[in-house]
Amino acid sequence: MDVFADLIYGFSVALSPVNLLYLAIGVLVGMVVGVMPGLGASAGIAILLPLTFSMDPTSAIVMLAAIYYGAMFGGTITSVLINTPGESSTIASTFDGYPLAQQGRAGPALVLCAVGSFVAGTIGLILLTVLAPAFARLAQSFGPSETFLVVMIGLLTLVVIAGGKWRYGVISALFGFTLATVGVDLGSGDQRYTFGSPELITGINFIPVAIGLFGIGELLYTLHQGEHTEERGFFRVSGRGPELWPKREDWSESGGPMARGSLLGFVVGVIPGAGATVASLMSYSLEKTVSQTPERFGKGALPGLVGPESSNNAASTGSMVPLLTLGIPGSASTAVLLGAFLLWGLQPGPLLMTQNPEFAWGLIGSMYLGNVMLVVLNVFAIPLFANIARIPARIMVPIVIVLCVVGTFSVNGSIIETWIMLGCGVIGFFMKLYGYSPAATVIALVLGPLAEETLRQSLIISGGLSIFYTRSMSLLLLIIIGLLIAAPLALSIYRRRSTRDDR
Amino acid sequence: MRRSLTRREILRLGGGALAGAYTFALAGCGAHGGGGSQSASAENYPQQTLNWTIAFGPGGGNDIMSRQLIEILQKNDLYTENIVATNLEGGDGARGWGFLYDQKGNSYHISSTSGSFMTTPLAADTPWGPTSFTPIGMLAIDDTLFIVKEDSPYDSLEEFVAAAKEEPLPIGGIATINIDFIMAELLSQQAGFELKYVAFNDEGEMISALVSEALDMIASNPAEVLGLVESGDAKALAFSGKERMRSLPDVPTLDELGYNIDVNTPRGVVLAPGVNKGVQQWWIDTMKKAIKTPAWRQYLKENDLIEKVLWGAEFEDYLTNTQAKLKRTLKEAGAL
Repeated sequence: MDVFADLIYGFSVALSPVNLLYLAIGVLVGMVVGVMPGLGASAGIAILLPLTFSMDPTSAIVMLAAIYYGAMFGGTITSVLINTPGESSTIASTFDGYPLAQQGRAGPALVLCAVGSFVAGTIGLILLTVLAPAFARLAQSFGPSETFLVVMIGLLTLVVIAGGKWRYGVISALFGFTLATVGVDLGSGDQRYTFGSPELITGINFIPVAIGLFGIGELLYTLHQGEHTEERGFFRVSGRGPELWPKREDWSESGGPMARGSLLGFVVGVIPGAGATVASLMSYSLEKTVSQTPERFGKGALPGLVGPESSNNAASTGSMVPLLTLGIPGSASTAVLLGAFLLWGLQPGPLLMTQNPEFAWGLIGSMYLGNVMLVVLNVFAIPLFANIARIPARIMVPIVIVLCVVGTFSVNGSIIETWIMLGCGVIGFFMKLYGYSPAATVIALVLGPLAEETLRQSLIISGGLSIFYTRSMSLLLLIIIGLLIAAPLALSIYRRRSTRDDR
Repeated sequence: MRRSLTRREILRLGGGALAGAYTFALAGCGAHGGGGSQSASAENYPQQTLNWTIAFGPGGGNDIMSRQLIEILQKNDLYTENIVATNLEGGDGARGWGFLYDQKGNSYHISSTSGSFMTTPLAADTPWGPTSFTPIGMLAIDDTLFIVKEDSPYDSLEEFVAAAKEEPLPIGGIATINIDFIMAELLSQQAGFELKYVAFNDEGEMISALVSEALDMIASNPAEVLGLVESGDAKALAFSGKERMRSLPDVPTLDELGYNIDVNTPRGVVLAPGVNKGVQQWWIDTMKKAIKTPAWRQYLKENDLIEKVLWGAEFEDYLTNTQAKLKRTLKEAGAL
């Protein structure tokens, strides 16, 4: 068992005192970020990225990844207690979580979520452990043409998920590509759109853009919604006593959703472009479909909470597969992590796992430990984290804005980048307001240069487009792209027909 | 946790924890570049974080050497402050060195040189040239190894050349107008086949392309591909050095195969333009110590680099002369 030996090695890396410390910090920060409405995992990672520059890459990834999956746990708390998702991936958790809290069952609900997240995280990790090396081997048949097509699949998935608003998704992604063209031309060394400004020669850095769009943009949107003026209904959870613990029938009711959510979430997470948010929404509708009592959904059905909760955690684990084996991010958070790989001097791609085993396996090992830490934290410290959600906006918002500005400035000490960040904050607000996708913009910005370079290389190698259909792996990917485009069309035709039948 | 927390406690726990983390971040990162006077005199040098710009992607020869030097400087306490390495790849080094050029007079910005340090200014209209910077020294020269995939039908350079004459075969290298390109161009001219050259920004992507059979051959510095050859994933067909490699004694040199290609990659270090003489001398003295360490000797040996040491002005002269030679070669090849 090669994989087993690698995993043991990973544990030995993750168990070093330094890495354990950073793991604990990451888990805590992830919980805090998850609990704070308006601040998502991607913003949390982007804001804390500058901290990691002088760190060992393994410790850094252990910490940042912990923020990512930690936020999945944390976001649940606010969804259940105050009906406000702390994370976009916990939106589905408000549907049944808040009704449960109203019925005075917040304690058992949160405990089951924590356990479900833990189970899903662990199942996801076992799948990651087994599948990542296999994926990395498969990825060795990936040349420039395949890389280009996978990037396209990722962006298309994002657009397709946007559903009726797919045009907005396309525009958002094209906006990201446009930003990515600024700087030095990859092939000839000529400058593009730099207007002679030395600051722009290095291109538009994704960190200020990510911090602006996700951090400032989300906050402005929260304020616009007037959430700071609302008195939030709040359910106190007691840390001890019998009312915290789920009853036996709660456990048996939650087993199925946990298992289904874990598998569904992992698969969705692996697909580039679809992340935890999609996984949790899909899981919710799956649970509703398979349930014998679908009418209970929305009124406090445990499966409607536990399924999505398990699913978003498994998805955050699954999204590590394309990140580690192909160097292609599946979501906004993993796009920020990918940018971080480059800053730490690591080459993402099929060779990452063999050339930097302490990094890849150390990360995987740390995720097992991080999940254990989180389940313990969540069961015993729920009241503590719940209080963070009660910090008034007039205190929280200024703190986060200061963090965004300081974080951006500390990357390169550049005031221009700080302005870019603030500008993107305003753009991010309007994008959110009108239904555009900031995530598509950031992913396109990070992947733009890669897409451009690999497209050029493909065209030079084959002297035309033939490379995309003469190589079997490329052809397969091309077919997947075809399906991605055809599926929503077919679905909308089907829907139109079924609504006609209803009449 | 039965009682609920007071507001002050909440702040300390929530926002306070983050804000605290940030004060720490500022202490660590605030040093880079942000304002103030960085043209320190030599007596109290160094006082700040050193920013090491790597003008290429992770995994390439330039990246490997830079990170090796950084480790030596830190492990041996030759540079007592923190060192932050950043890969600013793109435009054959234009991005990274363009960034360094903009740090005029800042003695806390440094970078390592490659072949494109001389060739990129020839190809593109860069505001800088190889002599615009404050030279520290040249440490070694790096040669090129031509490799094919392990199950490639070509077992020797002759077989590859014969096939390439029938139909152009894609050859990969780092950057466009660079040593790898000049190598491949001169080889194709002297052997008489049409060159199909595919430029990559970093070694990892190029190796993936070779392994996936999108490329038929790659030209690379030995450091990046020796592992592949030793693990049996790739076959080495020829080496551009004057003598055969210590680690691959069976691979013929281009000279032996009847080619005459005298080009190689200079491995050296430069500071931002206009750094004062005192700091320049501090770095020359420090690098003299660094190249005596066992770790550096080991690095040279493992990567089959030939030591060639030139300090300060001598390094600058070497860059000027070599650039003139490369310019001639590129003009003859019709690339400029």
